[in-house]
Amino acid sequence: MSLPLILLVLFAILLVGLLAWALRPPTPAIEPPLDVFEALSQSRHCSRISQILQTLQPEDTEYLREAGQAALMQTLRKQRRQIALNYLDRLQEEFETLLEISRVLALLSPEVVGIEEIERWKLSLAFAANCAFLRWKLRLGLQTFSGFTLLSSMATNIARQLDAATTRIAETAARGSEPSVPGPGNLGRL
Amino acid sequence: MVEPLQLQAAAWALTTTLELALFVQLVRRKLGRIYPCFFGYLLAVILQSIAVAVLYRSTNFDKLAVWKIAWATQGLVVFMRSLVVLELIRNILSRYIGIWGLAQRLFLSVAAAVIAYDLALSKGEWQWLIMNGMRGLELAMAAVIVAMMVFARYYRVPVNQFERALAIGLCLYSSFYVINYSLLERIFLLHDVLWNFLEILTFIASLLVWISAVGRYRESEEVAIPPAISAALYGKVSSEVNSRLLLLNRQLIQLLHLKDRGQ
Repeated sequence: MSLPLILLVLFAILLVGLLAWALRPPTPAIEPPLDVFEALSQSRHCSRISQILQTLQPEDTEYLREAGQAALMQTLRKQRRQIALNYLDRLQEEFETLLEISRVLALLSPEVVGIEEIERWKLSLAFAANCAFLRWKLRLGLQTFSGFTLLSSMATNIARQLDAATTRIAETAARGSEPSVPGPGNLGRL
Repeated sequence: MVEPLQLQAAAWALTTTLELALFVQLVRRKLGRIYPCFFGYLLAVILQSIAVAVLYRSTNFDKLAVWKIAWATQGLVVFMRSLVVLELIRNILSRYIGIWGLAQRLFLSVAAAVIAYDLALSKGEWQWLIMNGMRGLELAMAAVIVAMMVFARYYRVPVNQFERALAIGLCLYSSFYVINYSLLERIFLLHDVLWNFLEILTFIASLLVWISAVGRYRESEEVAIPPAISAALYGKVSSEVNSRLLLLNRQLIQLLHLKDRGQ
């Protein structure tokens, strides 16, 4: 049996697996349209990034070693890493909320730009992978700054894309067109 | 001890019975109006079962001619099944104009890529071209269904129980057809009875999934076509979302600058 044929069979098996995954019950989503605003108005965890970065700087706790408190320094660093891990969880939640809003917008929009949507899929995959990577780095006590900066820039990219999408929707509305889009009743299921 | 051929005949009889049961259920629930292609597909499958049974029992026909007719009817059935897949996708996604356009382009690319890959495996040998083409079409259908379900999940598009069952049945049958054809036909070339039997078993499983879904189908499951919201409300929603996003974006940019300064 040739390799291309084996790949074909593996692809068919993968499809069955993917179907099972896609049929799982969905995770709770943003409910009615007003929740979109509520989600947007929630306090942003990314505004704490500078403090988090500061606490992870080795120089910030180095003075304890010089003062002969090496054990205390290690405890403090461990605690700070735990805080950073919690922060990372919140950052991920925030990112997922942004994605959720972008999905709602895509459903509302009478026109969706494919490249932007695919870009968002890629971003969400990259974000998930980076989050997992960063989490392990924190657990192992490795240097993490570049990772945090990368995640921040991803969140910015998402926000920019959302901005462009909402501008387009606003323009459509301003032109006075009434596109056949999901109404509030239907949004309840989103 | 039951002979393999007897087992196959029993499975064939069971399949036809289940097909008829599903047909009656569809008529009773009046689902033929909502899913005309599925209704047509089922009708084609029943007619194919009858035609092939009559042909194989008849002694007046040449065996090769019967085999060719049987494969021609199979081609028609596969074509009808591909129409069912299109109908399913249209029913689920066409309510959402924006993502519907994107979905069409995406699924077309997926289907074309899968069929092209599969046809490339026949290396220009025409006798394999038709068989591989059939397999390619089956795999393309499975791939498009899975892509559609992943797409619907990502955008949280509601999919009712019947549509889910339809997707499961179609995808499972197509996937197992590809696996059966690729593995059994090539490795165990002599075991064509087993190959046919496994194919029938897969189809029986799909029929059972569909019968169960039609039995549980309720009119209220139908997702109503969403009414358009007014331009004023739309504009208000958009500008509010826009301002929030701008604020968030500004915060993030400030943070990035802070970080740069820190370095």
